[in-house]
Amino acid sequence: MLQSYFFRLPLACVVLFTLSVGTLLAAPPEGYRFLSLTEATQLASSQNKPMLLYFGRYGCTTCRKMHAEVFNDASLHAKYNDAFVLAYVDTESGDRISLANGERITEMQFASRSRIIGTPTFIFFSPDQKVLFKKAGFQTIAQMSQYGDYILEKHYQSTPLQEFMAGQ
Amino acid sequence: MKLRFAGLWLVLIIFQSQASDRWVFAGRSAVTGAAQDRVYHHLDGSGRKHIAVTKQSVAAVWEDNRSQTPQIYATLKSFSSDRFTAALQVSDGGEAYEPSIDALSNNRFALAFEQDASVFARILTAEGLGVPTRLSHQAASHVSIASFNDQVFASWRERDSGRWFLKVAVLRIEDTNRFIVESVQSVEAEGLETPLLFPAIAVNAAGLCVAWEDRRAGHTRLLVSHTADMGKPFNAPQPLNEFFSNRNEYDKGNGVTRVSLASFGEDEILAAWMDKRRGSTGYGIFAALGADAGENFGPNEKVHGEEGDRLAHYNPATAGNQAGDFIIAWDDFRRADSDIWISAYNSDLEWSQDHAPSVASGSGEQSHPSIALDEQGNLHLLWIERSQQDGPSRLWYSLGRPQKP
Repeated sequence: MLQSYFFRLPLACVVLFTLSVGTLLAAPPEGYRFLSLTEATQLASSQNKPMLLYFGRYGCTTCRKMHAEVFNDASLHAKYNDAFVLAYVDTESGDRISLANGERITEMQFASRSRIIGTPTFIFFSPDQKVLFKKAGFQTIAQMSQYGDYILEKHYQSTPLQEFMAGQ
Repeated sequence: MKLRFAGLWLVLIIFQSQASDRWVFAGRSAVTGAAQDRVYHHLDGSGRKHIAVTKQSVAAVWEDNRSQTPQIYATLKSFSSDRFTAALQVSDGGEAYEPSIDALSNNRFALAFEQDASVFARILTAEGLGVPTRLSHQAASHVSIASFNDQVFASWRERDSGRWFLKVAVLRIEDTNRFIVESVQSVEAEGLETPLLFPAIAVNAAGLCVAWEDRRAGHTRLLVSHTADMGKPFNAPQPLNEFFSNRNEYDKGNGVTRVSLASFGEDEILAAWMDKRRGSTGYGIFAALGADAGENFGPNEKVHGEEGDRLAHYNPATAGNQAGDFIIAWDDFRRADSDIWISAYNSDLEWSQDHAPSVASGSGEQSHPSIALDEQGNLHLLWIERSQQDGPSRLWYSLGRPQKP
């Protein structure tokens, strides 16, 4: 099995360019400070914060369900909005990303190369911009909260995620 | 003994595979030189039209960053030659993307491309490039070009005063190999607040058809519109994809994206796109056939075979000819790395088993196919090859000759 392209891609080297004709075409959850991948990457690097990268799709059913039933949770909102840098990629967008190797591709091509099959897919990064884990599909409030704690309390430095989750 | 039986099965498998091949590919030709460090070729854009064929030659158009910035390049190969010409730089701005090509008479080709948030059209001949013509007035992108009997049409999206428009232009060819914009109309006079994406265009004797990704419903749907005469307005947009919803209160329907159109026969249109109706397995390749230049489309049809039911497929491209042949190509990861796959109707008028041309499969990444059919039914295939997914790339071409039944 080939390793996901995304997991071989140093996040620090991903820069997003948006043409004047382009816009953020999809819809991350309201009230959260989701940024373009460019802005988020730069911010995470400068502030030494962990990052959540959300691959979504315009009109995606499970994304909409999570927005309404999970991301509306006040404690989750506080945890992620304050402690994480948030990035959003529209898996069907024609906006372009510039990769570390100098290549420019659309967000959609980036998602397919990253083997993002479904949405939502969440990639969690440590403050030093290493990929920690990926979660695809519907996640509950409790799960999202535990993922956040796992990173913010730095359990990832000593404990596998599965073991941490089992102990909660 | 086991070894002998294994050998026999291998022979049978190979024989069956070859027997099922509707096209036989004799080899491949380099469209660009050997892969160079940090140079990346892209075949991407509305309708995935990057290769076209005249009676005398085949031409390809693409984007790459050999000059440090993304620019458009084109090349052609006479059928009497084994080699493509040196690449001609088509664009000359800060950055350019997503070219499109179609064939004209007298061994000429029509090109369209995006450059610095405008869209342009330009003629390519064996002697070189004509002067570019700007098609758009406001910020524009996602251009595609199509021709029929030297009537040339281009479609693109344009944003004016915060609203999105789908524009279609009629282009006239001047003697000096320059396009003149004769007229431009919006498919819908009222612009949209929501974006429309990647309009594809096809034309034949019965008229003109455009299909695009539309987000006005709070969800992406493929819409199609038709006119029998560019002097008249386009008809009201109709849905192209059948969509499925009501899983729960949040469900507005399955995802669809990147439609490609091709004219075939006298007046028919083939549409193919990526469609998430299968749920968790990602995009499938689905298609529909439209009569009367896309005025009336038939039901949606799943293109890929059962083997491909459990994985995602990408980058569908279509081709057709006036003899009535039509075909779809795409790429997927069913063999771990990406290969090119094709499917066409079999004798039962059903989509054939998926076939991976040996020239465009195997080790390394072969992806982003673009295809053309000539009037003899030969299949012209263009694709990107990389030794690894994030490595440098090159472009290949292969000619598939139809097998005698």
